Amino acid sequence: MEELDLSEKINKRIALIKNEVLSGKINLLELQLNPIFSEIKHSISIYNIENYSQSYRNAVELLNDKFEELKNLLSSLDIEKKFEDFLKTHPNEDQISDLFRGCWRETFLFEPFSLKFLEYASDRYIKERTTNFPIEHLIREETNDQFLLEVPRYKYTEKISAFYDKIKKKLPCFFEDVFDNELDQIEIYEQFVYLLHLLQLGKIKYQKDTNTLYT
Amino acid sequence: MNEISILMYMLSRKKSINQIGATKKEILKSLNVKNKNKSVYFQDLLTGLSKYLEPLGLQINFNSLNSHWFINYDSELAELISANPFEGRPSLSATLLCVLTSCLKNSGRTSIQEIRTLRNKKDVKDDIKILEKEGFLDLDKKTTDIRLTPLIGYKLDLQKLFVRLALKLKE
Repeated sequence: MEELDLSEKINKRIALIKNEVLSGKINLLELQLNPIFSEIKHSISIYNIENYSQSYRNAVELLNDKFEELKNLLSSLDIEKKFEDFLKTHPNEDQISDLFRGCWRETFLFEPFSLKFLEYASDRYIKERTTNFPIEHLIREETNDQFLLEVPRYKYTEKISAFYDKIKKKLPCFFEDVFDNELDQIEIYEQFVYLLHLLQLGKIKYQKDTNTLYT
Repeated sequence: MNEISILMYMLSRKKSINQIGATKKEILKSLNVKNKNKSVYFQDLLTGLSKYLEPLGLQINFNSLNSHWFINYDSELAELISANPFEGRPSLSATLLCVLTSCLKNSGRTSIQEIRTLRNKKDVKDDIKILEKEGFLDLDKKTTDIRLTPLIGYKLDLQKLFVRLALKLKE
């Protein structure tokens, strides 16, 4: 008896009942609460009383909910007659207004949550991500010094455009086919970078499952 | 986009002046739920969403007049933001109560004449017109028949009203 502590078990049982009431599986009015209170009564002792305060609180909350349900049921019985009886007492406008006190509800309307807005937001988000890649061209400084890396003769955009013109006749084609005739690894790497930029700009599209490039 | 965002959209949308939210059927169709346990799934979904909404002062509710699920602010917040649409216009509350009483008695229909008698007032037309404009009732101009719209099920906690009425009569 000293070590018997059912508080955890009772708490879990009450939580389960609450969930079942919420999901509509059981009706609180048809549920017997006596077994829960009996269990608390018969297993509580001076050794476990601290743990039982929460169980007792949960059980009383459940009992309170049951009373509320009963109150609602009783009040909705013969309601037409109750309204009529009330009006027969000839209440003035303020008394009627007072009857409604605390009964008004404010609905939550949130138009920006509309499906249209979510689609628009999603679409715009994607577009903003894919179009913000400005290409800045380098300006050759007038100097006689020699550098290992020289500014290329053509601008980057011109190089991409030339590459695009070269491969667009091949499209649609497999990814590897774009570099078909190229043997120089440096050239392949350079063209791969152009290809990435064209994909980012949306001029070329790639379908992963078929490994295909297309416009 | 996931179930929660679709559910939020469906429960917080205004279809018309007196239709807010969505029916269970509409929600299940939007989420493409077709399995056998769809009712249990539906309840779990609503219970799950309500747990997220509770700390925000929101709750999911059911309008039994048109079987629509919708979201409203909890009673404390509603009190704070003054949800009473007839604040400072007690005449409209009184007329609405008479319409409600008469509709409950006459299977959902009433007439201007009936309201006039219940209100014990010669002219209730102005109140009826305002209530119609605000979406609480439909008025048939030819027959002067009046019907309540589902809006009252959104704007009023009818259960609470019944309890208050029962307590008032006992006073």
